[in-house]
Amino acid sequence: MTRRKQTFTVGWLYPDLMNIYGDRGNILTLLKRAEWRDYDARLVELGRGTTQHMEDVDVFFFGGGQDREQALVYEDLLEHKQHPLERAVQAGAAVLAVCGGYQLLGHYYQTAEGERFPGIGLIDVRTEAGKKRFIGDVVVDTQIEDITPGTLVGFENHSGRTFLGPNASALGRVRLGFGNNGSDGTEGYLQGGVLGTYLHGSLLPKNPHLADYLIRSALRRRGVDELSPLDDSVELAAHARILERAPHAAHGRHASPALLQRPSHAPLESRPRSRADAPPPDQP
Amino acid sequence: MIRRTAAIWAGKATGALSRFSRRGGGTTLPGDVARVIDSDILRKLSQDLKYGAIVITGTNGKTTTARLISWLLEGAGHRVVSNRSGANLIFGVTAAALESANASGRLSADWGVFEIDEASLPKAIDEIQPKAALVLNLFRDQLDRYGELESIAKKIEAALANLPAGSTALLNADDPRVAEIGLNLTGPPLWFGLDDTTVAERELPHAADARTCPRCGASLIFDAVYVGHDGVYHCPNGDFERPPPDITAKNIKLDGFDNVAMTMHSTKAKQDQRIALPFGGLYNAYNVLAAYTAGITLGLDPGYIARRLQNFRAAFGRQERMEFRGRHLNLVLSKNPAGFNETLRTAVDLANGHNFLIALNDRKADGTDVSWIWDVDFERLKGKARALIPAGNRAHDLAVRFKYAGVGATPPETDPGKALDALVKATPEGETAHLLCTYTAMLDLRAELVRRGWAKPYWET
Repeated sequence: MTRRKQTFTVGWLYPDLMNIYGDRGNILTLLKRAEWRDYDARLVELGRGTTQHMEDVDVFFFGGGQDREQALVYEDLLEHKQHPLERAVQAGAAVLAVCGGYQLLGHYYQTAEGERFPGIGLIDVRTEAGKKRFIGDVVVDTQIEDITPGTLVGFENHSGRTFLGPNASALGRVRLGFGNNGSDGTEGYLQGGVLGTYLHGSLLPKNPHLADYLIRSALRRRGVDELSPLDDSVELAAHARILERAPHAAHGRHASPALLQRPSHAPLESRPRSRADAPPPDQP
Repeated sequence: MIRRTAAIWAGKATGALSRFSRRGGGTTLPGDVARVIDSDILRKLSQDLKYGAIVITGTNGKTTTARLISWLLEGAGHRVVSNRSGANLIFGVTAAALESANASGRLSADWGVFEIDEASLPKAIDEIQPKAALVLNLFRDQLDRYGELESIAKKIEAALANLPAGSTALLNADDPRVAEIGLNLTGPPLWFGLDDTTVAERELPHAADARTCPRCGASLIFDAVYVGHDGVYHCPNGDFERPPPDITAKNIKLDGFDNVAMTMHSTKAKQDQRIALPFGGLYNAYNVLAAYTAGITLGLDPGYIARRLQNFRAAFGRQERMEFRGRHLNLVLSKNPAGFNETLRTAVDLANGHNFLIALNDRKADGTDVSWIWDVDFERLKGKARALIPAGNRAHDLAVRFKYAGVGATPPETDPGKALDALVKATPEGETAHLLCTYTAMLDLRAELVRRGWAKPYWET
C-alpha cells in the first residue's frame, strides 16, 4: 500500500507587492525543507482580493514592501485578510512577518507627523516612524528554547521603531545591529508560532533552524512533534560567516548603546519595562 | 579665474599622484579636491563645451550606453569628454571634466557625455545644463544605499523638471516607472521602446518592481516582458499604458554574447536602419536603441549611426573576453536582479553555456545587502551548469542560494585566485566559462587576472 504524502502549505501574503528584500528566499526555504522531508509542499499566493485556501495554510509569510505598494496592501489586509488570518492562527497556523508585514500585524504605525494607521492587532506591538534608517547586518541571540544554534543572522533596513507591548515577548536580543527600535536591545516578536522580525537577508535560508521551528509549530496541530534531520552544513556555513563578522562591527558603525551596557545573554525579563514604553529616540 | 585654475591644477595633480601611486585610476579623487577649491567648477567647465552635453542615468546600462554615444560622436569627428571609467557620482564627473581641461583651465571639447548615478542626477543637471537627459530604466538596486525605487524615481522626476529650455528628455517607454516620470513632465519627451514580441517572455520575473498603475493602483497587465518589468503594459481600467514610442527597435536577433541585430524605426524618419553589433543580450538591445535615439537627438545621421555601431567594443568589464589557460573566459558585470536575470538568460539559453563562476561581494559599491540573490532566477542553471563556482566574499550565501535552486555547485571559494583555479579545473580545455560578477567582485577577479598578466588595468582601456 502506498502512503499518500501529507501536504504542507505556505501562504504568501501579497507576493507581487510585498517582496522587496528577497523574500522569495523565505518561501523557497520553507517549501524545500518540507519537500526534503517528503511532504507535498504547496504555495498559495494570497494577492489582493482573494482569501481562497487561507484555511489550508500551515505557515503564512508576510514580507515588506515599498511605500506605494504597502498603501495598496493596507486596505486589502483590513478588508479581506484580517479575519481569516486570525482564525488560521487560532487553529495553529504559524506566521512569519518581516519588516512592513511585521508592522502591519501590530496595533498601529504612527508617522512622523503623528498620524496613526491602525494595523490588525494580531500581535502586541506598535511602531513609530524614526528619523534615521537602521541599515546593516544583524546578529540576534534568540529566546527560542531548544533550537541550535542559538543565534539568528540577517540584514535590517528600516526606519520604523517597534515597541513590544506588556503582553509581548521578543524573538531575541541583538548582539549586532539595531533590532526593534535601537534602544531596548530587543529584536522581533515571538509568541508560539507567530513571529515578527526586521531581519531579511533572506532570513530563513541562513537560519534553517528557525525555518524548522516554524514548520514544526504549524505541524504540531497534526500531531507532528519532530522533523527528520537534514544536512544543513551549507546553510550553517553561511550563518557562521556572518557571526565571524559580528565582533568587528559591534564596536563600529551600529552597536546599540543599550547593548553595550548589558551582557548579551541577560534574560529579557531583566529589561526595565519603562524603556520599552519610552518615546522612540531620534538616534540610536 | 584664479580659483578656477587653482581648482583644475590641484585636481590634475591629485589624479596624477593617484595613478602614479597605483592607488587606482585617479578617477574620482581629483574631483573631490577641485570641488573643495571651487564648488562651481563643473558648471564652469560645462559651459566650455562647444555643443553641450548629454547625461545618462538609470539602474542598468549606463556605462555601455554612454560608451556607445561617445563612440558615435567621436566617429563623427567630435572631441568628447566623458567619465569613461564609470565613476558616476558628481565627483567622478567633475574629475573627468578636469582631466580634459587644458593648462589655462579651459575645456576644449565639443560634447560632454556623462553617465550619472540616479541619486546624483539633480545636481548633475543643475550644474551641467545638458542638451539631453536619457533615462534607461529603474530597477531595484542596492536598497541599503539608495532606499526604495520610489524615492529614486521622485529624484529623477524633479531633476528632469529642471532641464533647461530646449533640452530633451529621452525616456524608455517600456519601463512603467520611467513612463510615469515622463507623463508628469511639462514638455514632451522622446520615447523609445522595443517592438518585437518574439524576444519577449510571457511572465514577469520575481523581481519585478513597477507592477501597479500609478493612477488607480490596479495590477498592470503585461502583453510582453522584455527585461525585468520593462515591456508592453496597460492598466485594466484604462488609466495608464505604455506611451507609444517615437523610436523602436524591431526584428531583433540575438546570438548569445556574440551578436545582437535589430531594425531601428522612427516615426519621423523615412528609412529604417538595420544595426548589428558584436556583443549580446537583450539588455544591450535597449542600450543600442537608447544610443541610437541619443545620436539622432544630437543631430547625427541615422545611416552613419548604423554603420558606426557595427564596430563597437563593449565597455570595460561589462562584458570582456580573455583567454586563460586554454579556456575562453567571458566576464560579465551582473549587479542586481534585473541585470543578473538577463546575463543568466543570455549565458544559459542563448550562448548555451555550461561553465560558470558567480561572484558576489557585499562592499559598499556592490550594496551591503545581498538579499537580492533570492530574486535572481538561478533555477535557470538547473540541468545546464556542469561547473558552478560560488565566489566573492559572500560565496557562502550563493552556495545556499544554489542549493535551494536545486543546482549542484562546488564548495564556496572566497579567494579570487582560488576561485579562478577551481573554475579552470572544472572547465574542460577549449570551452567557454562565464564569470558573472558584482562590481567589486569583478574588480577582484580582474586584479587577479592582471596579476597573472592577462588583462590591462582598467584606466588604460
